[in-house]
Amino acid sequence: MVELSIIDKLKRSKILDLLQEGKRIDGRALDEIRPLSIDTNVIPHANGSARVRLGDTEIVSGVKVQPDRPFPDMGDKGIFICTAEILPLAHPSAETGPPQPDVIELARVVDRGIRESGMIDLSQFVLEEDKSVIGLFADSVITDHDGNLFDACSYSSVAAIMTSKIPKWEIKDDKPVMVEGEVSDAPITTIPVSITMGRIGEFIIIDPNLDEWECLDARITITTNSDGNIVALQKGGSAGFTFDQLVKCSELSISAGPKIREIIKQATQSTL
Amino acid sequence: MGGREANVVLLDENGIRSDGRKVNETRKVTIKTGVLKNADGSAYIEFGGNKILAGVFGPRDVHPKHMSNPDTGILRVRYHMEPFSVTERKKPAPSRREIEISKVIKEALEPAVMLEQFPRTAVDVFLEVLQADGGTRCAALDAASVALADAGIPMRDLVCACASGKAADTLILDVNNEEDQAGQADMPIGYMPNLGQITLLQLDGVLTPDEFKKCVEIGIDGCKQVYEIQKNSLREKYFSSGDNN
Amino acid sequence: MKNLESKKRYVLPGDVITTAPLRLRANVTLEGKRILSTAIGLSDVSYDSVRVIPLSGIYLPKVDDLVIGMIKYIHGNSWFADINSCYEGMLLAKDVFGRGSNATLGEMKASLDKSDLILARIANSDRTREPLLSISGQNLGKIDSGELVKISPTKIPRLIGKHGSMIQTIESSTNATITIGQNGLIVVSSDETNGLLKALAAIRMVEEQAHLADLTDKVKKMLGLNGV
Repeated sequence: MVELSIIDKLKRSKILDLLQEGKRIDGRALDEIRPLSIDTNVIPHANGSARVRLGDTEIVSGVKVQPDRPFPDMGDKGIFICTAEILPLAHPSAETGPPQPDVIELARVVDRGIRESGMIDLSQFVLEEDKSVIGLFADSVITDHDGNLFDACSYSSVAAIMTSKIPKWEIKDDKPVMVEGEVSDAPITTIPVSITMGRIGEFIIIDPNLDEWECLDARITITTNSDGNIVALQKGGSAGFTFDQLVKCSELSISAGPKIREIIKQATQSTL
Repeated sequence: MGGREANVVLLDENGIRSDGRKVNETRKVTIKTGVLKNADGSAYIEFGGNKILAGVFGPRDVHPKHMSNPDTGILRVRYHMEPFSVTERKKPAPSRREIEISKVIKEALEPAVMLEQFPRTAVDVFLEVLQADGGTRCAALDAASVALADAGIPMRDLVCACASGKAADTLILDVNNEEDQAGQADMPIGYMPNLGQITLLQLDGVLTPDEFKKCVEIGIDGCKQVYEIQKNSLREKYFSSGDNN
Repeated sequence: MKNLESKKRYVLPGDVITTAPLRLRANVTLEGKRILSTAIGLSDVSYDSVRVIPLSGIYLPKVDDLVIGMIKYIHGNSWFADINSCYEGMLLAKDVFGRGSNATLGEMKASLDKSDLILARIANSDRTREPLLSISGQNLGKIDSGELVKISPTKIPRLIGKHGSMIQTIESSTNATITIGQNGLIVVSSDETNGLLKALAAIRMVEEQAHLADLTDKVKKMLGLNGV
C-alpha cells in the first residue's frame, strides 16, 4: 500500500505548516492528549489484564503471576518483568520474528517507568528468602498502531497490574504450593504515569500519532509518580533537545500526569 | 487423552455437561467484524472462554520476491498465542504446536479463497489468541474467514469450524478445555457450508468407525450454527441501517 | 431468453445468487449450476449477466479508471507509481516525451520525481505485469500540491455522490480543491487551513459512515451548512 516513508515528505511539510499556526493534523492543540479509554479484566483467566485505546492505538496487557527463583543478588524481592510485542496485525509494516530493537526499547522503558517508581512492593513477593519468590510478568501486545506506544503500553500495563489478583503460595516440602481460593490485591504503592513528547522543528507536541511520529526530530518519555516526582526518562530519535526544550517537556509531563492518573484510578477503581 | 481419571463430572445423570450444556450444544459464540483500524480486514471472536483477534492484510507485495508465485497469490497464516492466554505463562517464541496449527488453518482456508487473480502477491492472516479455553483452532478459523471477507478477499465460500468429540462415553459437540483434558476424543472440523466440503479435520483420541461418522455429522451441525453467527456479524457491519437500494 | 428484472440483493461470499445460465461478470463464480457471490456486496442481475458490486476490498486496476499515484522510483525508461493496489502502476517515458524520444534519467527526474503525485488513467491492465498508466490527456499529469488522503476504494462513489453532489458540497463550503482517484487516493488542497481540516474531516466522515442513510445531512451539518 502507500508507504509511510514516502508520504513523509508531503505530510511533514504540511505538519510543520500547521504547527506554525498552533494546530495539529488531527485538530488537536500541541499539548492535547488523544482520547484515552481503559478497560480492565478483559482477559479473566489471567491474573490481571487491561485494554487501552489511546486515539487509534490499541494495546492489550495481561499479567501472569507464578512462583519463580529470585535473581541471584536480590533474594529478598520478587521478580517483575515487562514485555511488549507489536503484533503483525497492528500495522501493514509490522513484521513477525524476534523483537526488533525499537520494541525491546519500548518494553524496557515501560518496565523502568514502573520499576523505578516502586509501584509494586516486590518485598511482599517473597515466599522463602533467596529460594522462592513470586514472579509477576506484565506482557503487552499492540493490536493497532497509531503512534505513541510508550504511553499506551505503560497505561495498559499499569492498569493490568493494579487490578491483578495475586494467589497465595505456601512452602510445602521445599516447594511452593498454591493455596486454592485465596487471592489478594497487588501491593501497589504509587501510580506511575508516562508522558511522551516529540519535537518537530522548534515545536513540542504531546502524544504524537503515527503520522507525527514518523516526522519527529526527537522524542522523550517522562514518567512521574503520584508525588509528582520524575522517576524515569528516555530520550529517543536521531536529533537533540535544547536545555529549555527539556525543561518544557518536564513541565508538560508534570502538568499532564494528574489527569491521566485520574483516568487510570477510575478505570481500576483504585483508592490510592 | 482418553480414559483419564477426571476430578470433574463430565456428564451427569441428566445428560448435562460440566459447564451446564447439553451434549449437542455449542458454547456461546459472538463475532464482531472490522475491529482494527490498520488491518485491511479484521474480526474478533469469543467462543466460550476463547478470545481471539484476526487481522488480514492483502493482497500485497511479497518479500523476498522469490517467495511469490507468478501464477497466483499465496495465502500465509500465523496462529499465535499471547503469553497471558494460557494458565502457565507462555514464552513469546512460536512453538511447534502454533506452527502446526498455522499450517492446518492455512490449508483449511485455501480451498475457499480465490487468489489466482492476484499473481505475485500474498494475503496474510494473523490470528492472535488472547485467551485460550479449548478449541482455539476452530475459533481462530471462524474469525479468519470473517476477517478475509471483511478485507474483500474473493472467496467461493466462508469456512466455519467447530469441534466435536467424546467424553464420558458420549458423543458431544464443542469440546471445552476440561473435556479436552479428561475426555476420550477431540475432533476439530472446518467446513465450507455452501460447497459441502470439509477443509479442516484432526483427531485426538479414540473413536470407532461408527462413532467417527456420527461425530463428523455432529461437528458439521455445529459448524453450521457458527456459520449463522459469522454471517450475522458481516451483515451487521455491511448491511445494517443503510441504504436499502 | 426470459427477461430477468434487474434486482439488487445483499450477498455474502458463498451465497447463491441464481441458477440461471447468465454470463459471469465481476465477483461471482460458477459452482455446478449455481452462481455464487465471491464478495460482500450487492448482487446485480440483468437479463444476460450477473455481477456483485463489492462493499470492501482493495483497488484492482481497471482500464480507463482515473487514479492518483505517487511516484516511487524510476527504472529503465519508466516511472513506477504506488496506486494503492497490490500492483504498481507503470508510466512509460514515451507517454510524456513522445514516441521515439530518448529521455535521460535527469530529464525524467526533472519531469516527475520520487514522491510526486500524478492523476493518471489506467491505459492497460492484464494480470501478467504491472498496469500501464497514461498522463497524456486533459487534466492529467502532475498534481502540484495538496494533502494525500487514502480511503477505501469502495467508498469513492459515495464521496462523489449523485452527479457529483457530495464532492461539490464539500468543495464549495471549504474552498478546497479535491482530486479523486477511483483507487481510493484523494488529494485535497486549500489555501485556508480551516478549510483544509474541514475537508479532511468531511472525507473521513464519508468513509466511516458511507452506509448510513442520513450521511448527506450529517456532512452538511459538520460543514456548517445547517438547513441548506
